[in-house]
Formats: sequence, structure tokens, C-alpha cells
Amino acid sequence: MDIKEIKGIIDLMRKNGLTEFEYEKDGTKIRIRRGPDGEPQVIASSPGLIPAPAVLPVSAGVPLAVAPTATGAPAAPAAAPAGSTLPTINSPMVGTFYSSPAPDAPAYVEVGAMVNAETVVCIIEAMKVMNEIKAEMSGTIVEILAENGKPVEFGKPLFRIKPV
Amino acid sequence: MFDKVLIANRGEIALRVIRACKDLGIRTLAVYSEPDHDSLHVQAADEAICIGPGPSPQSYLKIDRIISAAEVGDVDAIHPGYGFLSESAHFAEVCQSCNIRFIGPSPDSIRRMGDKSLARENARKAGVPIPPGSDGPVQTEQEAIKAAKKIGYPVMIKAVAGGGGKGMRPAHNDVSLVKGFLAARMEAEKAFGNPEVYLEKFIEEPHHIEFQILGDSRGKIVHLGERDCSIQRRHQKLLEEAPSPLIDGDLRKRMGRAAIKLAEAVHYENAGTMEFLVDGKGNYYFLEMNTRIQVEHPVTEEVYGVDLVKEQIKIAAGERIPAEFENLRPQRHAIEFRINAEDPANDFRPCPGTISLYYPPGGIGIRMDSHMYGGYSIPPFYDSMIGKLIAVGPDRATAIARLQRALDETIIRGVKTTIPLGQRIVRDQDFRRGKYSTHFLERFFEKKVEANQR
Repeated sequence: MDIKEIKGIIDLMRKNGLTEFEYEKDGTKIRIRRGPDGEPQVIASSPGLIPAPAVLPVSAGVPLAVAPTATGAPAAPAAAPAGSTLPTINSPMVGTFYSSPAPDAPAYVEVGAMVNAETVVCIIEAMKVMNEIKAEMSGTIVEILAENGKPVEFGKPLFRIKPV
Repeated sequence: MFDKVLIANRGEIALRVIRACKDLGIRTLAVYSEPDHDSLHVQAADEAICIGPGPSPQSYLKIDRIISAAEVGDVDAIHPGYGFLSESAHFAEVCQSCNIRFIGPSPDSIRRMGDKSLARENARKAGVPIPPGSDGPVQTEQEAIKAAKKIGYPVMIKAVAGGGGKGMRPAHNDVSLVKGFLAARMEAEKAFGNPEVYLEKFIEEPHHIEFQILGDSRGKIVHLGERDCSIQRRHQKLLEEAPSPLIDGDLRKRMGRAAIKLAEAVHYENAGTMEFLVDGKGNYYFLEMNTRIQVEHPVTEEVYGVDLVKEQIKIAAGERIPAEFENLRPQRHAIEFRINAEDPANDFRPCPGTISLYYPPGGIGIRMDSHMYGGYSIPPFYDSMIGKLIAVGPDRATAIARLQRALDETIIRGVKTTIPLGQRIVRDQDFRRGKYSTHFLERFFEKKVEANQR
């Protein structure tokens, strides 16, 4: 999506009094929301460690940052999945996500696993220290959102969970 | 040269560092708090990692998360900006032990010069004048009189437990000293629970003058002249200029030499600033050192034609300071006005909010260092500075005229800013004549109150 198309969308939104617009195609996701005073705010999704291209100021001084999601990263869930309103277990730190205690060991949890607050669901490695991450809530794992061996940032959703 | 640098900061200085990295062909990794997700420095960087929620102690001050991000991002160096961890010797040490270059001085330098009393001790040893004072508290009137005689009137009686301008009173002779000494002790006991007072030389109508220094790993130290930062509100700088209207070439040479001597004494590396108080008679006294890049660095950059942040990175990468830096003369005049999201009509209450419209100033001699954009929401967790407006000209009068023009044409809607105050300062006759001291702003407000009352 280039700047002309984005400008076109903003104009369409203004003309038709729309307040929110979301678009996703081929790994690119963009969301534009008009603020309380009618000025558009572009909220780009930028999960995890992804490249963020430079700001492109437009006439009203609104910068646009289109952040392509890294291909292969299951970080951004596809359009409105059934479980999108379920809570997630988010990363409390910055580091590398590992789904199992050792490379050849089975994963801590799989989809469908029942967990409670004390269940270790993964390891996040930071500065050579393996930190066991607990679920902190009871429920069933419905989706694994982080990729084994990939870096995660603070707040990154790791698992989607259906609470009891 | 470094391949990739992590910027451990936010706002306008993070953007500044990213720009210097881009100029050097260095890739950039920004770290940010959750409310800073849409911040300009995050968008400008090549990569970005979230390190925590809004409050600084849980994000920008979280050493472990910043180092994790540095490792995950495989960076060579970290630039700490100003504030946050920039003067944390501990953070500099952690970087060292993780084999990540800290773009700044050594942990030892930070410790030795970051501590105010250690720094003054180092200054004394290096023969750099410090404000004369009683060595420690004075317990009796007799001691006070003796100390005052040694220091020379006028003196300032200060509470040992005081700070931020509280618990101070001047004395011009023995009579007022004794009266003041007893009164100050009573006040201090009531206000701070500690009646102890000490004496310091009262520097009348001082200018706050600071010298920019640069040191490289070979031990070469140079200075890039002074900045006059006397215009302050409650000890917060509002406007800075270079060169100072108070300093002539001779005083600049002497103070510059003192600044270099002190920096050499502690083997200082990278950028740093020596702060002095200067009276109307050309007497200068060392106050403290800031072991980092400063907010007001752009005025020095514009006057001397040097990119200080780029020099910081080059020095950290092992490069020497260029020989020509020893012989730089001020080429132009520069004035910086800090734009804060504060309401001057309501005691400068911070005004976080969303900027609905932003039109930055431009034209010849105008530089705006800011992370603002139309639609940007200023988070409430950090300081209120949203931009620095720098005006440059061949002389002071031109710089003032350009600053006035630029302040008049800047549009920031959606939040209150200190621009109206700036517009009044540049039109003030005393300011325009270069006649001001650290008392300028309080007098300026008094003048205004009087004018309103008439």
C-alpha cells in the first residue's frame, strides 16, 4: 500500500464520516482511526522485533508508519479469529522464547493443554538466564502465538488461553 | 565504526541520536514503553523493541530489559541520551561487562564527576576555582564570623539539609550575618529537622555558564566554548544561547583552559559539560559537571559547526578528536528556546494531550529538534518538553530576530505550550541587551504581575 492509496482512504473516511478502517493483505496490516477531533491517527501493528519504515508526514502533519508483519511469524492473528476476545499470556520481559526446556525435549504446553497459575508454559532466555514463565491464570491453551527461538518484547502475547 | 546502536531513551533526543546514526550509516534499534508505541523515535528507527509499561522505573530505567533488547538485537553500542540511565555508572558498567560499548564516559568518570562534592574536590585539586565556603557547617556565631571573613562578604547562609533554593539567606556584613545565622538555624530546624548551616560566597547577579568539552580515548580533551543558561525557572533551563553575552575572548580562554584541566585530571572521555557561576566582574566558580550530552547541545553545534552526537559515537568507536577542534572559534550566534507542554497561565502545569495541529517554523537560520507531529499524543509519564527551537544568525541581534519570527509562526494546537512566554522573553529589553542573570525570570514575572496590577 503506498502513500497515495492511504491518502485516498483517509479522504474516503472523511467524506463518509467513517471513524475506523482496518485492512490486511499479504502480510501488511494497517488500521486508521479518526480521533475525537476528527484528525486521523494511524495505528500500525508492530508485534515483536519487526522493521518499521520511516515516517512519511502528510499535509495535515499526520505521520504514517506501515509496518509489514514479518513473514512466517504467527504474531498477528488472521482476520477476526473466533478466539480473538480471549485473554493472552503476555511476555513479562525482553528475550528469546523457547517452547520447551531443551532442544530435544517436548514442549511445556501444546494447544488443548490445561494449565493453572503455577504451570510453567515456556522459557524466555535473557542474558544467558533461562526464565521459566508461569501461566499466572487457569484455563486451556487455545493458541500458541510466539515462535520457538524467536525474540519477544515486553507485552508480546505468547499464548491465547480460555480461562476456566 | 559500529554496525548497530541501541538508543536507550525516548522523545526528541532519541530521534536526535537516530539521525546521527543514520548520517554515519549505523543501523538503529529503539526501545520504547507501551505508551510510546506511536512515538516518532520508534517509527524512525530500523527496529524497535517494547521494554515495559509507561512508568520509567518499569521501562526506560529497566537495565535488565534494555540489555536483553541489546542482546536480542545484537547491537555493538548503546547511546543513553540524557536523563534516564545516562549518568548511571552502574549501567555503564553493565554494558561493559556485556561487551556492549556505552557511548559516554567510563563508569569511573561518571562516579568521580557525577558526585557533586567529589567533583568539587577534584576541581580544587586541579586548581579550578570553586565557590569559597566554610568547610562544613558553622556551629556558632563566632565561627560564622570567622568563616565569613575568610570567604569575603557577601556570603550566603545555607541549610545543610536544604536544597532546591530552600533555606538560604544572604548576609552582607557581621551584623546581618549574626542575625541571619540565628534565624536560619531556627528555620532549618523547623523545615528540615536539622538546624545546621554552612556558608558560601554569595555570587551576585550570576550567570550560569557551561563549557562543552570532548575527550577521546587517547587523552585529548578540547572545549567547544560556552553556553549561557541563566534564564531558568525554578532551576529548570528555559532558554540557552552561545556565545554568552557576558563572556569575552579572554575569559573564554581562561575558563576553557580550566574546564580542560579538570577533565584531564579525571581522564574524561566523550562529551561532557562543566558548569560554572560567573559574576559581573569576570570571576568564575565551578559548580558541577554533567557527564553526558545535554539538552542544549544544539546551540554549540550551530555556533561551531560540529555534530556533537556524531562525535560522541565516533569517539566511542575509537576515533580521535580532529586536530582542528582545538582551534575552533565561535562562528555564529545561536539561541535555543525549550517548548514545553505546560500552561504558563496556570503555574506551568504540565498539559499532556493530543497535538491536533502542528506547523513547525522554518526559513533561514531555524532548526527544530522535536518528536512532535500532528496527531501525536503526549504521554503523561515523562517530562513536558516537546521540542527545542533553535535560531541561528551571524550575530546575536539576527538570532533574536529569527527566534522571534519562528516563535510567532509556530502552530501547536491541542495542548498548551510555553511559546507565549518565549515570545515575551525575546521582546524584553533586558534580554535583548544581553543584560540578565539567573534572577532574570523571577524579575520578569514580577514585572508582569506589576503590569497586570496597574
